[in-house]
Amino acid sequence: MGCFFSKRRKAAQGGQRQQQQAAGADGEPASGEEKAPRYSWDQRAKIDPKDYTFSGLKDETVGRLPGKVAGQQFVIQDCENCSIYIFDHSATITIDDCVNCQIFLGPIKGSVFFRDCKDCKCIVACQQFRTRDCRKLEVFLCCATQPIIESSTGMKFGCFQYYYPELALQFKDAGLSIFNNTWSNIHDFTPVSGENNWGLLPENAVVQDYVPLPSSEELKAVRISTDAMRSIIPITQGRRQKSSEESCLAVFFAGDYTTANARKLIDEMTGKGFQLVQTKEVPMKAEDAQRVFRQSASEFIPLLEKGPVVALEFNGDGAVEACQSTVNDVFNGTKVFVSESKASASQDVDNFYNFAEMQMGM
Amino acid sequence: VRILLLGLDNAGKTTLLKQLASEDISHITPTQGFNIKSVQSQGFKLNVWDIGGQRKIRPYWRNYFENTDILIYVIDSADRKRFEETGQELAELLDEEKLSGVPVLIFANKQDLLTAAPASEIAEGLNLHTIRDRVWQIQSCSALSGEGVQVRLWRRLAVPAGHL
Repeated sequence: MGCFFSKRRKAAQGGQRQQQQAAGADGEPASGEEKAPRYSWDQRAKIDPKDYTFSGLKDETVGRLPGKVAGQQFVIQDCENCSIYIFDHSATITIDDCVNCQIFLGPIKGSVFFRDCKDCKCIVACQQFRTRDCRKLEVFLCCATQPIIESSTGMKFGCFQYYYPELALQFKDAGLSIFNNTWSNIHDFTPVSGENNWGLLPENAVVQDYVPLPSSEELKAVRISTDAMRSIIPITQGRRQKSSEESCLAVFFAGDYTTANARKLIDEMTGKGFQLVQTKEVPMKAEDAQRVFRQSASEFIPLLEKGPVVALEFNGDGAVEACQSTVNDVFNGTKVFVSESKASASQDVDNFYNFAEMQMGM
Repeated sequence: VRILLLGLDNAGKTTLLKQLASEDISHITPTQGFNIKSVQSQGFKLNVWDIGGQRKIRPYWRNYFENTDILIYVIDSADRKRFEETGQELAELLDEEKLSGVPVLIFANKQDLLTAAPASEIAEGLNLHTIRDRVWQIQSCSALSGEGVQVRLWRRLAVPAGHL
């Protein structure tokens, strides 16, 4: 059949004639050949891919300021000892053959794919996280779906922790919810019996020890904070060891202040020493409400049609009582679901995740 | 009509599957095993099998070859680094006994991305014009936006399978 994509190339002359196709009644030629543009991508403004590529750099600090990527694809390849900062949202990013780099990648609407990389420290937000043939990557991650690794070892993960003023809107532009982050349960396509190809970063890991603040004048303009309390993505425990057997589920309903309210409750509870285990933002239907809220379902069902709910799972001795009293004090007028008791709380949590997983599955 | 949806990991197979089924594509997770959907399209009932494409699990593709009416092969047109790899996998599929004569529809996906190679360039690189043992077609698309996904070709591709 001939070599596919071999170095020896034929000149593309009147490609239509050379391509053998089944003669069809509608006579459609292979698309992409000389014909009036009929796809949106035919008509888009000509942008230079070189402006969206970092390739073959060594010992450099480079980046893109907010607004400079604006949802385009970005390509990073063959970089060594570099600090790379993409302070904007993008469509998808591939990182190939990079060694000893520190990389910040702002919200990615689709997938991020690391291939053949080694000794890199990263902060990444994405819809899908993938690696192949990588070694010793350390990643502070926000990922909307289950991260996967293949033929990779020495991989370590922590929760995304970063702030700059433009970041919140960039998450929206990328279509990513700050409450959907499954950073800690990695699927390994090539597990090795008796070994672990991946693990979690220490809970007290200092972000700037991994990815320093940018040193270049241009990038210093971005007003970054790596403080956990300011992080755009709430810091969650995920699969880390729970300190207590007592959990508590709190659910906010769609409205103008949902995000602010959820963040406020998180701040109050973590301020009191409780841990935020997991958050989820997901649409809910009446049947789901029955299963999750049970006796209180009728009170909450009318609120479901306004939009997705935001659920928070807290952990710690006395979490239920603390959550109930905080909600009563701080959110007097707002309808919030809170677990009734320690006994019912663990059932609430299970019921919620079961429905959320079905909803978000595939 | 039994359709087998193959291609490298991250090609956009599952997004394509969801688009064909007119479902929400905003929360798609990397496929760990496979997905199946039944889809109505232009009068045909399509049973579409979407199989995970990681290198490690490509050996399992052969478990799904039998009784395939149409092979859809999805390519990430913007992942130039892996053009050779995807070309290689496609070549091997077209050499498979159990897929012999099965029409193949190649989707040059992710045309919405900046570095996407046009279908004509991909067709040339894959030497599609040398395919003589079966019906084939290449189609530009963006599974994400839905453009190019609804194919007015089921009829033509399904002819050898005797479904008319």
